Amino acid sequence: MEYSEKPDLVINGVTTASGGDYGKVRIDGVGTVEGDIVAESFDANGMTKVRGSLATDDMDCDGMITIDGHVSAGKSLVDGLMKIKGSLKADRFTVNGMLKVKGDCEIEELRMDGGFTIDGSMNVGRLYVMLNGQGRTREIGCESIQVRRKRRTPWAALITWVLPRYAIELHTSSIEGDDIDLEHTETEVVRGNRVMIGKGCRVDLVEYRTELKVHPSAKIGKGVKIGG
Amino acid sequence: MERELISKKELLDEKGISYGQLYRWKRKQLIPEEWFIRKSTFTGQETFFPKDLILARIDKIMNMKDDLSLDELADKLSPLLPAYEMRKSDLEKRNIVSSIVLQRFASEDASEIVYTFDILLYFYVVDKLLQAGEMSMEEGEHLLQTLREHFPKFETKPCDLVFIRKMGVSSFALLSVPVEMYFENGVKVVARLSMTECIEQLKGKLV
Repeated sequence: MEYSEKPDLVINGVTTASGGDYGKVRIDGVGTVEGDIVAESFDANGMTKVRGSLATDDMDCDGMITIDGHVSAGKSLVDGLMKIKGSLKADRFTVNGMLKVKGDCEIEELRMDGGFTIDGSMNVGRLYVMLNGQGRTREIGCESIQVRRKRRTPWAALITWVLPRYAIELHTSSIEGDDIDLEHTETEVVRGNRVMIGKGCRVDLVEYRTELKVHPSAKIGKGVKIGG
Repeated sequence: MERELISKKELLDEKGISYGQLYRWKRKQLIPEEWFIRKSTFTGQETFFPKDLILARIDKIMNMKDDLSLDELADKLSPLLPAYEMRKSDLEKRNIVSSIVLQRFASEDASEIVYTFDILLYFYVVDKLLQAGEMSMEEGEHLLQTLREHFPKFETKPCDLVFIRKMGVSSFALLSVPVEMYFENGVKVVARLSMTECIEQLKGKLV
């Protein structure tokens, strides 16, 4: 089996390890990896730092993880905060918490519960967002997207009222896709086949092909039907 | 030399595809990143594509996607030089490169010799320009030399071949794309070929 040929990396406590090609990687505590790392599986708990790029088939991160380079992952589960300074590529990605990416995101299926800041653009096959914090990205291209918001606590409602900048909303410049179902989203353009603009949305322009539904509390500038 | 562009919306209308498909193909690397050209228009940011390239590519994807999975398709379309090799005699038989080119540039090679894909590509490009009547035999020799010497340096990066002539003196250049080029007066751009396109055409012929 190929598994046994590569060494495993185990970090407990406060340690620095070098990058390289590993079998299983398990980090508990405060671990730093110097350089690029390739692993069959990557399991991090606690504070993890990778000073390089990370490539793995199976990723499970709890706690805080910072990656200076790019990430390419297969199936991934992140609980906590993940910061990526490069770009992110993944198959199935689940985040409970916060995701921050400086570059672009290309993911087949992304489920997000929490908030995110993606400075590049997002290209996601199926995107499910449950907003529990702010979502910001330059633009979204997808096959299907669904955005929902958790019920706000009275405190959150008060903060939003005092500081509208911190409202729990999704902000982006454009959303393009086939099936679009939004709530609490502010964007300039939405382009898609079936478009549902739910409560709390502010959209300047909607271009749709087959269907457009607008919630009474949503504000849209213009809805245009295009194509045959 | 300005390339004709097509906006994303026009492209989707013309080909009858959806945003989802386009993004999917981009994720699968069926459509290269550098074809997505962002420009600001009066309606805000819009994405444009080089018209000839993207239309040909989408036709190809639509034709082949029923028979092949997207991943197989990506292999077929990727600009990486594939591991195709071919014997000289087969090359002649299948008429991929005309016999004149082979006689002229490969007469000393035995007919059993096996050419790697990059050599095939060089012959193909030379043949293409010769057939178009844009280049003479001597220039062909120079081109072959240029390609042998410099094309491998691009590795997998996309590049264009530019063939210019001024006052009867010709020269070749290989450049990585996307790039804008302007020449002094009197320079005639005889041909500009995308090597990536050539690779694909040749791949199509070999398979």
